[in-house]
Amino acid sequence: MTIPKSDEMKSKGKPCQLHPQSMCPAFGSLRILTRLEGSHPVMATDTGCLYGLTFVTHFYGARKSLLAAHLGTEELMAGEVVEGTRAAIEVAAKEPGVRLIPVVSLCVAETAGLPEEMLPKKAGDADVVLVRVPAYAIHSHPEAKDVALAALLNRLGDTSVAKKKKTLVLLGEVFPADPLAIDGLLRRMGVEQTITLPGRSIDDIERAASVGAVAPLHPFYKETMQVFRSWDIPVVGGAPVGMSGSYAWLKSIGKLLDLDPKLVNEVAEEERAKAAAILSGNPLEGATVIVSGYEGTELAYARLLVEAGAHVPFVSTSIGSDPLVLPDELWLKQRGTQEVIYRKTLEHDVQALDDYDPDLVIGTTPYCAIAKERGIPAVYFTNQLASRPFFLTGGMGATIGFIKQMLSREDKYQWMHDFFELEVVNNG
Amino acid sequence: MAKVIRDLADTSSYWAAVWSMCPMPDVHVICDAPIGCFNLVATAVPDYTDSVPHIENITPSVITEQEVGGSGTGEAVKRTYEGLRDEGMLEGKQLIVVSTAESEMIGSDLTDLVKQLQEGTTFFHSESLSDDEHVGRDRVLQWLWENYGAAQADGIEVEAGLVNIIGPTYGCFNAPSDLHEVKRLIEGAGGRVNIVFPYACKLADITDLAKAQVNVIMYQEFGHTLAATLGQPTLHAPFGMRGTTTFLQNLGDLLGTRAQADAFIQHEKKTTLQSVWDLWRGPQSDWFPTTTIGISATRTYVEGLQSYLGDELGMPILFTAPRPGKVGEMNNEAVRQFIHKSPPTLIYGSINERIYMAEAGATRSAFMPAAFPGAMVCRSVGTPFMGYRGTVHLIQEIVNKLYDALFSFLPLDTAYSKPSSGAVQPVKVGDAGNMPWNDDAKEVLDKALDKLPFLARISASRELQMRVEAEAQAKDLDEVTAELATAVLAAQAD
Repeated sequence: MTIPKSDEMKSKGKPCQLHPQSMCPAFGSLRILTRLEGSHPVMATDTGCLYGLTFVTHFYGARKSLLAAHLGTEELMAGEVVEGTRAAIEVAAKEPGVRLIPVVSLCVAETAGLPEEMLPKKAGDADVVLVRVPAYAIHSHPEAKDVALAALLNRLGDTSVAKKKKTLVLLGEVFPADPLAIDGLLRRMGVEQTITLPGRSIDDIERAASVGAVAPLHPFYKETMQVFRSWDIPVVGGAPVGMSGSYAWLKSIGKLLDLDPKLVNEVAEEERAKAAAILSGNPLEGATVIVSGYEGTELAYARLLVEAGAHVPFVSTSIGSDPLVLPDELWLKQRGTQEVIYRKTLEHDVQALDDYDPDLVIGTTPYCAIAKERGIPAVYFTNQLASRPFFLTGGMGATIGFIKQMLSREDKYQWMHDFFELEVVNNG
Repeated sequence: MAKVIRDLADTSSYWAAVWSMCPMPDVHVICDAPIGCFNLVATAVPDYTDSVPHIENITPSVITEQEVGGSGTGEAVKRTYEGLRDEGMLEGKQLIVVSTAESEMIGSDLTDLVKQLQEGTTFFHSESLSDDEHVGRDRVLQWLWENYGAAQADGIEVEAGLVNIIGPTYGCFNAPSDLHEVKRLIEGAGGRVNIVFPYACKLADITDLAKAQVNVIMYQEFGHTLAATLGQPTLHAPFGMRGTTTFLQNLGDLLGTRAQADAFIQHEKKTTLQSVWDLWRGPQSDWFPTTTIGISATRTYVEGLQSYLGDELGMPILFTAPRPGKVGEMNNEAVRQFIHKSPPTLIYGSINERIYMAEAGATRSAFMPAAFPGAMVCRSVGTPFMGYRGTVHLIQEIVNKLYDALFSFLPLDTAYSKPSSGAVQPVKVGDAGNMPWNDDAKEVLDKALDKLPFLARISASRELQMRVEAEAQAKDLDEVTAELATAVLAAQAD
């Protein structure tokens, strides 16, 4: 293990910040852009970057063939970034069913320069949309999702259609069961339609310009919210997370969309009662949990765990500090959270292991590996939490159930630790 | 016309540098990289190629707008070095600073700067904008030897019986199994394994490369420059029974242990290889002439598979796409078109080929993982492609795939079928006796059957026929038409 034990670092005060934790930021955009039906992205970058991003996209994004301009020394020296990209666009335009060709411009192409006016706006019938996501400027994976979505909305949002007052955009890449549950409740309150962005449908992006309001489920869609504001579409604050969060959120949607207050109240109260039943008896009481991912949704998860009775002393995320996350940060700090770290490094997280002696770590893969080396139950935030329902009481039940299950596995982590780290093991 | 890439198969020389240097525990690399180039090469991808939680001995300089905008990366690298030094993370380590595509793009040459860092720190310009991973690995292995081995190697005597293995690095498909088998073969032929460079050695030990009597190069793609510099006789890691036998005999000749090598070969025939002989004498080998194969992988794997499956076992090889590709060979675009048109029974490849199979709806062909990119755990030593054990493993996997194909066509009573299982529903047995098929319809059925593994054809023929007839009865037709057969069989392929 080359990461020093955190007690060594602690003696010197603040940990040295050497290993920032984020998936390559650009992947956030690729994930969104490849999952859209009819979208055939073209990448402008070097081969090493292309290999890595294609690898993770084919693993986590979509079973979709990806095209790119070949940008090696020769092409870059000759100033052929635009030519190469245009050639790849032409190939993409021949894919069956193509409607959209996002051009994903990455570090090397951005440094060389890829002027938007040199790219076509259309190739065949497909829209060509430039998405600039150099890792050196975007810093985190969730923020690149925002950049990509904002670019798509700016270009494709259809503002010629009259607004439909009682419709809503749910903003955030969430587990598919979540929007179903949210939509079900909202329809009972009188909402006529919801759209989840980012999703699989290009039509939904076009339609998004005519909704009555936008509800960000995640706190990092800054540029996207700017686009909605430019369309005079109001933004719902908060998110349907946990008991208090969901109640307030349902009420504010009622107000914003001018729904029948009686119906809204009925649904909100019912949901609150269900949540209270789940939380009664503090299912996670006595557990100390560290929440540390790079998805940008860590504070919301921490909030839910705290409501369920857990002690969450330390939360860290890859996104930057922002007014959008401030309410969650304040809420957490009033309830026992001692540290909330933005743009975190592995060193921050490792120190927290010693400082807070957690029963469970929800973290990045390097961080979880270190926790497991110490016999502490740990799971990869991205794979395990982001792939379960999270919102409203349904998500609450699923998430708490999962955490409880993880907490009950402590002996297995301990046994593995003893087996691999100690010379002699009680094999019982 | 500008070159367009479809689904890259080979990464860059920056990755080669990190993946070649970092297996050695006494190295620490500072990659002069934005966060993405650090995350992808050190965590996100090796999580799924080499099944390591993260590569621990690498730290990024974290290039941001400031460095790109004109300040250069020198200060960031220096700051990173100081942090590592202050945390004690460089004790007992050789520090190497490696350039990336982005640092090269902004012209960051740190040859002079590294002299201000820990004594002995070196700068490796990875040529990431121009070289691929194979060229990169070849160059970095040679560079490591020149910088950390050659100077002390003068006067080192060659020791009889010692054999080096050059390669693998991180990111080499199935390396643990193949390496394990190659070591076993070397020992079987009477040799002793000296240095496994760079996969299982220390940087401090590489001077000892000079001791070996023979160098075995694992992969054709890299390692030759170093082997030529070392100057001793060179062999390539073998595939197939013929290739492996020749390898053992040649190694025995080079080491002066031919009798031991021959005895090993004889012993292997009665042990390891007995299963190949049994499968050959059994009913399994009868299917080989009708089991069609496509291969897209490194040139080493393509040629190895082609010679064993094609030349030795007699399976028809319908396409090969070696990487890195040469002019006139199939690129991914050509492979994609081939698979879309007529997928072979078994397709050895990477996730790219798997995607093309999914696009084509080639559900009757089997995907055989044989290359990166693609998420694949290859940490067991029981899945070699190389050597005698490789011949057993490959044949076993192939026959089991054919068994699977047969099973999926055997009749299943519809009453047991649970709709929730998501599987293709068994067809209902009709009650109208045999239905007439017109000639065009028969031709459609024959063509569909041609695409199936031979072993499965009897059952598949019945099953597909019944499906079409059930649909004809539902539509109250008197005979099966080509149109109906085409529609039903197309739906089947989904």
